[in-house]
Amino acid sequence: MDITLDEDQAMILRSAQEFAREALTPARIRALEADDNGFDARTWRRMADLGWAGVVFPERYGGTGLGMFELGLIVEALGQGAVPSPLFSTVVEAGLLLLEAGSEAQRAHWLPRIAAGGAILTTALLEPGGALGSAQVRACAQRAGAGFRLSGTKLFVRDAGAAAAIICLARSGAAADDLTWFMIPADAPGLARRRLQAAGGESLWEVTFADVAVPADAVVGAVGAGWPLAERLLLRGAALKAAELVGIGQASLDLTLEYARTRVQFGVPIGSFQGVQHHCTEMYRDLTVCRLLAWQACARLGAGRDGLREAAMAKAKASEAIPALTRTAHQIHGAVAYYRDYPLELYYHRAIAAAAAYGDAGHQRRALAGLMRGDLARFQGEHRHDLPVHQG
Amino acid sequence: MDFDLTPDEAAFRAEVRAFLTRELTPEVWREHRDLGEQGMWTPAFTKAFRRKLGAAGYIGMGWPREYGGGGRSRVYQAIFWDEMEYFRAPGLDRSITYVPNALLALGTEQQKQSLLPRVMRGELSWFVGYSEPEAGSDLAGLKAAAVEDPATGDFIITGQKSFSSDAHMADYGWVAVRTDPAMSRHRGISLFIVDMTLPGVQITKYPTLAGWTHHAVYFDQVRVPRSMMVGELNEGWRVVMGAIDFERAALASYGLVGFQLDRLLAWCGAERADGTRKLDDPLVQDELVRLAIEGEGTRLMTYWLASLHARGLMPQHETSLALLVKRETARRFDVAGLEMLGPFGPLRAGSPWAELEGDVEVEYRDRLYFQFAAGGFDITRNVVAQRGLGLPR
Ligand SMILES: Cc1cc2nc3c(=O)[nH]c(=O)nc-3n(C[C@H](O)[C@H](O)[C@H](O)COP(=O)(O)OP(=O)(O)OC[C@H]3O[C@@H](n4cnc5c(N)ncnc54)[C@H](O)[C@@H]3O)c2cc1C
Repeated sequence: MDITLDEDQAMILRSAQEFAREALTPARIRALEADDNGFDARTWRRMADLGWAGVVFPERYGGTGLGMFELGLIVEALGQGAVPSPLFSTVVEAGLLLLEAGSEAQRAHWLPRIAAGGAILTTALLEPGGALGSAQVRACAQRAGAGFRLSGTKLFVRDAGAAAAIICLARSGAAADDLTWFMIPADAPGLARRRLQAAGGESLWEVTFADVAVPADAVVGAVGAGWPLAERLLLRGAALKAAELVGIGQASLDLTLEYARTRVQFGVPIGSFQGVQHHCTEMYRDLTVCRLLAWQACARLGAGRDGLREAAMAKAKASEAIPALTRTAHQIHGAVAYYRDYPLELYYHRAIAAAAAYGDAGHQRRALAGLMRGDLARFQGEHRHDLPVHQG
Repeated sequence: MDFDLTPDEAAFRAEVRAFLTRELTPEVWREHRDLGEQGMWTPAFTKAFRRKLGAAGYIGMGWPREYGGGGRSRVYQAIFWDEMEYFRAPGLDRSITYVPNALLALGTEQQKQSLLPRVMRGELSWFVGYSEPEAGSDLAGLKAAAVEDPATGDFIITGQKSFSSDAHMADYGWVAVRTDPAMSRHRGISLFIVDMTLPGVQITKYPTLAGWTHHAVYFDQVRVPRSMMVGELNEGWRVVMGAIDFERAALASYGLVGFQLDRLLAWCGAERADGTRKLDDPLVQDELVRLAIEGEGTRLMTYWLASLHARGLMPQHETSLALLVKRETARRFDVAGLEMLGPFGPLRAGSPWAELEGDVEVEYRDRLYFQFAAGGFDITRNVVAQRGLGLPR
């Protein structure tokens, strides 16, 4: 057991933090929030040049062959710098879905393009019901000749405006879990996109499919086998959003400590007041716990192991603790950070956007409760004890 | 980054589990548990058990081999503490954790040679004499004093120590006293190892709300040789601070929380007289899941701290933080456990219809001290903010 970063990992985190610090000015980040794409194309290309867009892909697809854990460190750093990017839509969602389930032709075509920063892709999963369950998927793909015709409404589709193609989960038969992923070019006739205005400038979209023609080779994975893939996509998203929340929390804490040391009231720095000190310790405490949980979740998924317990715990904790942390950060800043040109507000908004993604705290706790009742040993995890015999 | 135990660490954990399972049978539990004692075991059994720990090589496993130690990394120590706490085993206290660790780091060669082998065999019990009626969190206000006898070089100690855990069963005291009242408060303190059989040592008893008896120690002209001073004369504050770091690390162990979680899960999963299970109540499920997440955070903190030590990274405020998380989480479990027991919660050990042997109610009382003693919540928040986060005093 060694719960510390090794040399290489520490290097990756440091260089990603350096990149994130200087990549975009706060003014530019704010401008991007109003932009339809929501990210800066040049910055994304630079990230791809650093190998980050392909960090989880094997080398034969243009990747660097590192893992989810390293990706988690990069995501944490980007969260810390509030750098918007299509990393989640393109790499975490679509890229890893294709890597896991795509045909060789799909992988060979798309993954090198993603890794090079040339292709933006996304996935479409959630619907107006809002909940993350297979029963919520109403979008429907009817067989039509060799292919399908797809109709339905998808919400919260990340970066749909910039995406070349959207991989959409739809019902492909009558059985409850008969769901299939279809890859559809964004300019397909019958496909329409509408931007949602979300906190933190998250580039979330409504995508409607009105009888869109889908050829047979657009299926990703096997027909009817879509839900298990969706579950794993959500798990990866949850673990990595937990890592992003850690970065958001770190930035908020750093700003707060700096302010507490320098802001003088009553003739002394406010950081010398015990009420302020205790707030800061609690922020740091929660952040540290969230970081360890997120690291663990990413490490497990990266090793290809069952990570439902670990990812759900990490995301459940971070989704509550980090937004709360940003509220405390504002408490300590007072009025100055209520104004938009103070950088803290970036994190205040991003925290709630990240908390809502890939299963909010309640969703994760529900998943854990299911595990607790259905498979207690898995719920307790691999480090569990057995109650001593004397505990009758 | 590796969240798994190595095969050797896993084998060690299995060995410790087997040892504790073998030693702490239901018969032993019935015969030697004693809620009138702070450690919840009879003093005689605690002492005998500590010798078994010594014989099994579990004391001093992390010390250098030149002092008979096992030279094992902090991860092994964390595993051992974890298992001991989980089993609620006797003897995991200052006598084998932080006092000898501090002695190892700060004692003279002669002290180490004469005392550490006996510590390692599990022969010695210690009490720590810091607190006094007027010196609690502000320990530098301590008044018990030692005056040098110029004729012999001995020191003569007079004064009172309070809240002296396990003083009644101690062979030695680890006692902070004032040796130069003219110096500033943090200077002019020295630390002595005091043989508790010396004339002039007197122990009194105070019943606690937890049901066990606490002690206070009076020193009346107790003559201690200079060779029993730890560290330099008037530099005892540094010894105290060094020892406190070891203390917090030893206390910041996960096992207790893991036990609380598993016990609660088992209790909630069991069928009740009316055929229902607590676990089927969605509110209970949500609370258990929340507790399990906090428990997992505590476990990771414990092993993160051990990893930092094992890598030689010398954690400081991180130790206080880990202790804060552990104790806050344990208290959360205490409260949640009591609430889940509902009307059975307040039933005391030994009462008809008491659930879980009344342990939850006992612990709810007992662990109240987590909030304010030795790394109490508020003092720890100060320490982390000032030492860890660089906020001004
Ligand atoms: C079960 C138990 C076992 C103990 N065992 C030992 C032992 O073996 N040896 C020994 O020497 N001592 C022992 N103690 C004493 C323990 O170390 C003290 O309780 C501790 O130092 C706090 O002192 P106090 O209780 O007098 O509280 P006080 O210092 O009087 O504090 C009272 C309250 O004020 C708060 N407070 C004080 N100063 C500050 C501050 N600067 N900022 C914020 N809040 C503050 C405290 O957190 C606390 O809540 C034990 C105590 C208990 C309860």
